[in-house]
Amino acid sequence: MTYRRSSILFVIALLVAAACSQPPPSGSSQTPQTTGGAASTLVWYADTSDLISLDPAVAYEFTGVLLTHNAYETLVKFEGADLATIKPALAQSWDIKDSTSQWDITFKLRSGAKFASGNAITADDVVYSFQRVLKLNKSPAFLFTDIAQIKESSIKASDPSTVVISLPKTASPQGFLAVLTFTIGSVVDSKDVKAKETGGDSGSGYLLDHSSGSGAFVIDHWTKNSEVQLKANPNYTGSPKPALGGVLVKHVPESTNQQFALEKGDADIARNLGAQQITALQGKQGVVTTTGNSLQLVYVGMNVTVKPLDNVNVREALRTAIDYDGIVKDLFKGGAKKVQGIVPAGLAGYNESTPFQADVNKAKSLLQQAGQTAITLELLVPTGPAPGGVAWADLAAKLQSDWKNIGVTVNIKQTTQADLLGTYRAQKGQLVMILWGPDFPDPDANVGPFTDYAAKSIAFRNGWDDKTIAAKGRDAALITDAAKRSAAYKEITDYVLHNGPYVVLYQPTEPFGLRSNVKGFVWSPMDWTDFAAISK
Amino acid sequence: MRFLGFLLRRIVGIAAVMIGVSVITFAISHIIPADPVAAALGDHATDAQIAQFRAEYHLDRPLPEQYFIYATGILHGDLGKSIRTRRSVADDLADSFPATLELSFAALLISIVLGVPAGVWSAVSRGRLPDYVVRVLSLAGGSLPVFWLGLIVIGLFYYQLGWFPGGGRLDTFVPPPPTRTGLYVLDSILAGNLEALRSSLVHLVLPAITLGYFSTALVARMTRSSMLDVLGQDYMRTARAKGLREPVIVLRHALRNALIPTITIIGLTFGSLLSGAVLTETIFSWPGLGRYATASAVSLDFPAVLGVTLLAAVVYPVANLVVDVAYYWLDPRIQHG
Repeated sequence: MTYRRSSILFVIALLVAAACSQPPPSGSSQTPQTTGGAASTLVWYADTSDLISLDPAVAYEFTGVLLTHNAYETLVKFEGADLATIKPALAQSWDIKDSTSQWDITFKLRSGAKFASGNAITADDVVYSFQRVLKLNKSPAFLFTDIAQIKESSIKASDPSTVVISLPKTASPQGFLAVLTFTIGSVVDSKDVKAKETGGDSGSGYLLDHSSGSGAFVIDHWTKNSEVQLKANPNYTGSPKPALGGVLVKHVPESTNQQFALEKGDADIARNLGAQQITALQGKQGVVTTTGNSLQLVYVGMNVTVKPLDNVNVREALRTAIDYDGIVKDLFKGGAKKVQGIVPAGLAGYNESTPFQADVNKAKSLLQQAGQTAITLELLVPTGPAPGGVAWADLAAKLQSDWKNIGVTVNIKQTTQADLLGTYRAQKGQLVMILWGPDFPDPDANVGPFTDYAAKSIAFRNGWDDKTIAAKGRDAALITDAAKRSAAYKEITDYVLHNGPYVVLYQPTEPFGLRSNVKGFVWSPMDWTDFAAISK
Repeated sequence: MRFLGFLLRRIVGIAAVMIGVSVITFAISHIIPADPVAAALGDHATDAQIAQFRAEYHLDRPLPEQYFIYATGILHGDLGKSIRTRRSVADDLADSFPATLELSFAALLISIVLGVPAGVWSAVSRGRLPDYVVRVLSLAGGSLPVFWLGLIVIGLFYYQLGWFPGGGRLDTFVPPPPTRTGLYVLDSILAGNLEALRSSLVHLVLPAITLGYFSTALVARMTRSSMLDVLGQDYMRTARAKGLREPVIVLRHALRNALIPTITIIGLTFGSLLSGAVLTETIFSWPGLGRYATASAVSLDFPAVLGVTLLAAVVYPVANLVVDVAYYWLDPRIQHG
């Protein structure tokens, strides 16, 4: 009994001592710095449940892409939020040569570039990295195999600082350069990764939660379901040099928590704030809100294999009935931009035309022309919040009431996005509300899927097989002259605007909350930011 | 010997439950009309990628064969590979289970430390103010939704007063103690790391209160009613007639006998705490099983959902077993009966 009592007392004493050893934290930023240092570490709160891998050949999810982008360099890059001009990165120059049978793109590497390990970056590293992507053949690999149509033999090092990549004539060289700005184009340290290979895994076991690149930051650790810590790379040869000592990405799924932590100073940047949290943060001391552009489009697909959606006038009536201004201004309160074409603002080929806005009479007369008076359709809607921070269900209710004005009854069926995609892919939807983001920052990444039935993507899911426009889309992708290409996309997007099976509702913007001492934050529509440009 | 036989029978029972649960969950998860491939590969996947994926997860085989492959795997300790995280489900569970276990233990501790005295207090002051207070609070405990309580608790104690942290298991810049059990409190004691111990304790407070409120209320009500039962017994009158002091009567004679039904409730609650942590874990960014289960279910990650279900199917009977063993020692009538 005495023994038991004394051991209980001991445990209680230990707990009390621990509880008293520090005051309860009202702001963790005041607690002692044990990893990296709180003062120079940026604390980033986000829902990171999508994080699967930090390997640039595997990562294809928002969090993975954000982190690998900062741990690796690519041959070419877009700077900040500007996706119009491709700039040098590891390659100081490049040249596209039109040989008769193929495109040959020659990259000259920047001299003196080094990996975080201190190893020099050579053409062999580039060849190894790109061949590794093809070998592993993971989620993003289709950008190399299907978009650029390259094979392992297409990538060659002609000398230690020169890489030549050959593309077939059916692939777009401009599109390939855009692909290379993405994390799949990251160059890994081949000496380091080869040493870490186990059982022919091309080092993917190691790169899952380590980095081996030349980016401004290195991966320090990834504690599953909790956090990823980046630290500044002391051997970084690019620019600008990171002002931060590190970045701590904390997994916080609840947006209210993110808001509270930001106000308390526990978080420096909050990534997943809804319209409600942004409103609550307005005017709060020490906090600023900002938005970033996104390349996503939220749209309703109209399956033309379902009557009467096969009738072009019915589709035009559905487009005409919607109050787009109400959606953008009242529902999203600035979290969305009015865009009605299939190419988002920010990409070349964006069509500024927005001809539709809640014209009930016109919509009704279009229905009459189509010989339709009473239509009932099912609208498939995902669960949770739509991009821009409003619930999908609320957006669906708005559409339902707009369409009711012209005598179209819509039954809303809400289901998980995964379930919805299953139905949509199988061409079994009627009206399907969903989002689309381009795979690479080039108009072809939208025009292809939205117009080409044979690509088995969006046009297919809506049963829309228009061979003329699909051919025009394929031709436009290969044009190298910027002005001619832009004119071709104008013609295509104008046509799809009135003939396609889509109601493009809006282009979302991404809200962010920042502590007011955070400087230099720029969100790229590629879904990342350069942590190196941020200071606090 | 009798005890060993008793234990053996219960363990065989658990095995039978697991087989049943695995068959039923497997069947349900594969019959529902949803496509895990769409969930895993997203909007942009090519036909070749989809085919490769179906083959990798044996989704191209007939259902009985899929179950056979799965069941054979389980016997070898392999719960399959998660569709969402692409990791082994067993590894995922090993990562997230200790967090939930720690939170559940803390919630359980709160429900015992607060619930039992509250119940006793309420019983001995039957019909007076303390009784009403306890009964109102426990009624509230049974009816408040967890997500609402969680947000209120965070809003008050983290956001307004700043007494406790708002989420996670440790302060932002406190590294976790070396993993031995995965329970941070225990691991920090083992490592002698006072800073991590303090941090993990203060981080436990709000989620444990949120998660434990319901079971505290349950324990308080159960203790109250069984105390009232016992206090009306003849031997209580005898004890009083012997001139024993009231605290001795209540604590030594009444409470000990009143605890048996309370222990049943505690055992049952523990199982439900583990699986009921879903909302609490989401609100408090607690990297545990509940959040893993939610994320898996939303992305139609069948292997992960099955893994979580099987784990819960083990935990429930094991908690019951512990309760039965506790009875066995507490109540001599069971040993001899």
